[in-house]
Amino acid sequence: MIVRPVRSTDLPALFQLARSTGAGLTTLPANEERLAHRVGWAEKTFRGEAARGDADYLFVLEDDNGEVVGISAVAGAVGLREPWYNYRVGLTVSASQELNIHRQIPTLFLANDLTGNSELCSLFLRSDQRSGLNGRLLSKARFLFIAEFRELFGDKVIAEMRGMSDEQGRSPFWECLGRHFFRMEFSQADYLTGVGNKAFIAELMPKFPLYTCFLSEDARNTIGRVHPDTEPALAMLKGEGFSYQGYVDIFDAGPAIEAQTAKIRAIHDSQVLVLAIGTPGDDAPRLLIHNRKREDCRITVAAARLAAGTLVVDAQTAKRLQLSAGDQVRAVAVSARG
Amino acid sequence: MLVMRPAQMADLTEVQRLAVDSPVGVTSLPDDSGRLREKIAASEASFAAEVSFNGEESYFFVLEDSASGRLVGCSGIVASAGYSEPFYSFRNETFVHNSRELKIHNKIHVLSLCHDLTGNSLLTSFYVEQPLVNTAWSDLNSRARLLFLASHPERFADAVVVEIVGYSDDAGDSPFWDAVGRNFFDMNYTEAERLCGLKSRTFLAELMPHYPIYVPLLPDEAQEAMGQVHPRAQISFDILMREGFETDHYIDIFDGGPTLHARTSGIRSIAQSRVVPVHISSAEPREPIKGGRPYLISNGQLQDFRAIVAELDWAPGKPVTLSVAAAEALGVGEGVSVRLVAV
Repeated sequence: MIVRPVRSTDLPALFQLARSTGAGLTTLPANEERLAHRVGWAEKTFRGEAARGDADYLFVLEDDNGEVVGISAVAGAVGLREPWYNYRVGLTVSASQELNIHRQIPTLFLANDLTGNSELCSLFLRSDQRSGLNGRLLSKARFLFIAEFRELFGDKVIAEMRGMSDEQGRSPFWECLGRHFFRMEFSQADYLTGVGNKAFIAELMPKFPLYTCFLSEDARNTIGRVHPDTEPALAMLKGEGFSYQGYVDIFDAGPAIEAQTAKIRAIHDSQVLVLAIGTPGDDAPRLLIHNRKREDCRITVAAARLAAGTLVVDAQTAKRLQLSAGDQVRAVAVSARG
Repeated sequence: MLVMRPAQMADLTEVQRLAVDSPVGVTSLPDDSGRLREKIAASEASFAAEVSFNGEESYFFVLEDSASGRLVGCSGIVASAGYSEPFYSFRNETFVHNSRELKIHNKIHVLSLCHDLTGNSLLTSFYVEQPLVNTAWSDLNSRARLLFLASHPERFADAVVVEIVGYSDDAGDSPFWDAVGRNFFDMNYTEAERLCGLKSRTFLAELMPHYPIYVPLLPDEAQEAMGQVHPRAQISFDILMREGFETDHYIDIFDGGPTLHARTSGIRSIAQSRVVPVHISSAEPREPIKGGRPYLISNGQLQDFRAIVAELDWAPGKPVTLSVAAAEALGVGEGVSVRLVAV
């Protein structure tokens, strides 16, 4: 398996993937035209022709047979072209010592606070491939790329996690709040944002802060909570140093988690090493390895042994990275304890 | 005969009897002798004060059965709502959320906490005993205030507001309060209104939500209670609606009851009342006056203000003929002017 930049020849495979995601992945709409547009932008981005606000680093996960089985992406910066909205979960205190009243009312403030940060997005792995290290490779490859090309990204990286919804895809938060203002189904709103039609958010959203005491208990309970299917992804990003700082999605109230770019483990701990080809050994740790290239970027995960500034990998791994012995790589352990 | 007159300290016990029976939402009539004593004292001082523009005065009237000395009703006017502290209301607002591209045109009803009505004169403390409801005496109890206002315009603002008690059920629970205020106070409606009467309303209003409230997010029962009148306040509401007060713009921040408002000069009892000289008929009529109809009559005085209901056969431009009893009740003699308006 390798992670590499998307190419226009991947389009048919991408469309198949998009159709299998269902609701909740706003950045991968099942719309051929939009996908083609997006892939076009990604190619420009990897060539270095996109400004940071437009940059869309879209990667694919490819198996050794050349089949695309997953995608992941990083946006150079959110909110520089169109406003980027979150709710900030703040607090209103209603208190009177004389009346012996002290009420704390979480309050949602519509905010553009996360503007300018880079965003992890569009992670999707075909269900039959969700085993071994595939998920971690697909997600964390992005950190090695960011570490290598630090100047292309913001000081913070954010990730919006999918919020709670039931088996029918109904989000209690949307049913209680968004529906009153948007007069459409959650899936439609989700689709519209996915295809980049975001102006309607500003036009239709409530502009005043919202006291959560006016929401149903069901809706309140979903604020800042992820969908059960997203728990593993959340745990993985927390392991990299991401944390919830009180920002949630305006549609399903899923948490937007964030980290200082420089402090993300896989970025901070990554190091540049010289590749050596040999036998890493059975007890060698698994490392994420990047060939340090941008357009021809290739990232993989493999058993590797550190020896005096060199990284010893087997020949198959070097081939996947399209490198020879003596070339430089950037590498980091797959996980903090890995 | 029932006579409307300024309250005196000697009325305290009787006033408290009325206050006990008054609905909990009428916070200007707390069942608390200390507060009622202050209220009467403030009223006496206000009637006595020389006033050239509306300030902190509050005027409190009682409806007395002159035969027995028993009080059967009361009402008041505060010269300036929120004179020394802000006067809070929820203003009904409409926001249109429009997306041309998606062809969505969404009208959103919002309640905004505001001080718009600060400085307006405020009708308060309306209460009549049950047997008087839907009689001309209810009109007297409410509208005599308006005749007083007409005679002393310098003492009042050019707009008048009144907060009508909103809907609450037999158990004393208000759906509007339960959906809105309760989140911020953690006490039930009855307790909150009781505190309002004892302390200041502003004191509690300051704890209310200061950001606008999106009405569609409120439960249906709360939305239905907005602008709804408590059954016992219906009489007061009906009288004032006939006077030309407008509803729909503001509601009470606690129970969602309607807050009525009107330009002073446009209020019917003020615009249509006439000041006419008195002729006293020495012959006491035994039969109802032929062609007569009930009128509210006030003497236009200040501390000696009196108002009554009487059947009159009066034509505009003519003096008004009063019985000896009516003239005595009003404390007026032959040739003195009175202000009158049809019930």
